Amino acid sequence: MNVLAMSGRVTTIARNTFLEAVRQRFFNSILTLALAMLLGAHFFQQFNFGASELKFIADFGFGAIFFFGAILAITAMTQLFFSEMENRTALTLLAKPVYRLEFLLGKFFGAQLLMAVFCLVLSLVLMAVMYVRESALIERFPDSFADGRVVQYWDCLLFGFIQWIKFGILSAIALVIASFSNTNLYTVIVSFFVLVICQLQYIAQDAYGEIVNPLGRFAVWLASLLFPNFQVFNVGERMFVSVVEEPLGAMILLGIVLYGVAYTAFFLLLALLHFRNREI
Amino acid sequence: MKDGWQQYFWMRAGRIGLTLALLVVAGLLLRPLERPLWQAVKAGQPELNLAELEGALGQGILVGVLGGFRAIVADFLWIQTNHYWQQRNRPKTETMIQIVTRLDPRPDFFWFNGARMLAYDIPNWRIRELGGYDVVPQSVQDQIDYEQAMRGIALLEEARSFHPHNPRFVLEIAQIHNFRLKDTETAAEWFFQASQMPGAPHFAARIYAELLRRLDRPMEAYEFLRKHHQSLPKQADPMAEIVLERIRDLEEELRIPLPRRYFPGR
Repeated sequence: MNVLAMSGRVTTIARNTFLEAVRQRFFNSILTLALAMLLGAHFFQQFNFGASELKFIADFGFGAIFFFGAILAITAMTQLFFSEMENRTALTLLAKPVYRLEFLLGKFFGAQLLMAVFCLVLSLVLMAVMYVRESALIERFPDSFADGRVVQYWDCLLFGFIQWIKFGILSAIALVIASFSNTNLYTVIVSFFVLVICQLQYIAQDAYGEIVNPLGRFAVWLASLLFPNFQVFNVGERMFVSVVEEPLGAMILLGIVLYGVAYTAFFLLLALLHFRNREI
Repeated sequence: MKDGWQQYFWMRAGRIGLTLALLVVAGLLLRPLERPLWQAVKAGQPELNLAELEGALGQGILVGVLGGFRAIVADFLWIQTNHYWQQRNRPKTETMIQIVTRLDPRPDFFWFNGARMLAYDIPNWRIRELGGYDVVPQSVQDQIDYEQAMRGIALLEEARSFHPHNPRFVLEIAQIHNFRLKDTETAAEWFFQASQMPGAPHFAARIYAELLRRLDRPMEAYEFLRKHHQSLPKQADPMAEIVLERIRDLEEELRIPLPRRYFPGR
């Protein structure tokens, strides 16, 4: 297999997938909703009772990135995959000298490019909202900011990158499910279930040590191995607002990226395993 | 036909089995990478620590699923808590306090107000439910006060595991012992503990000394205030003036001779 030719074919499919995704109304709607939510963080501040204002806005931004990003990662991947099946373009593509692996990788990278745009736009808007609010607070309470700004703005982009890695795993999971399922709806629903399980995997991992019953212990251990732990990517607060006692080290952040990339690669291989035997 | 169906079934089952086996292998291979990452991430986010969430698996699930939105959800649930509090709905108020504090344990506002509802408001509701202060025997009223105060203290103890360096939680426990349970001895111990914490308000030390005086231990109070005064900032601190006034009062009360009296800087 010529790697250069292969990467060329993957790039072509990824580019077309990305353009197709950007043209979809769904992407634009989700992006608009997420942006509106972020920009409206100041309004929701009225309901805030405890957390400091900047932390509240940051929290709100993390929530918007996670919530809308997860919806977009799953639905975009599923739609982009099934549109090729339903329009029969996959048949034409795979009849040409395009390997199934190339098709899957092209679809995945196209969807990931879309997620990169989403994460970048939202991170930049979150940075802008935080900057405006922090500047206003500095003007009003200069004594509280005697040591300078508390928000680490560049870390916001790093946080966006880490979320993008997490969405990569999620898109790859959706691709695995899509590679053997027959319907769009089934893929979306199962992917959302898997997302919830991945978000809660930490409970199984932590509960493992507490369970006495060997059978229950084994079941929890198995459950903690079957799914990736998405809470590992929940690092916004430790990176973004410098008032936290102990920020995360560079090695930990690198480890998180490695963990995400390894799981993404694994799920892509799993998708290939199922897609190889699929009748199109 | 039957053979075809069986073949299809075994093929699907085999594929599912292989997928699960591969997932377990991937999980095992990545576990050494995941464990230290998870420990590092969890250490900075106590709300993700299940040991702290004991008996609150439901809230643990909410924390996990909501991601960043848990702050706003906790805020809205706090509004709901206040609604139940206004209606004097005891079970719902208590349940909501538990949910809100576990959902977002970072703000101290939820802990303080929740503990005050439990320790100061709910005893009154319970006594009224039983017929009111004129009907309910004093012993039953005391028992209710004690039970609710202990619930408030338990909530504040939980808060301390999330905010171990915040002296205000220790002070709040001290105040419940002092004002609600009228247990001066225990309250004094808590005020002392608070006064020794970095960032503690100065009044913690003064109240500790005052409680010692009420416990008929004025000499101990005097010695403590002398030490405390020396630890105060040297500038013309209004707090230092107040502490010195208390020292003078105690010197009068203890009839300490002039040469043995406390003179700052000497």
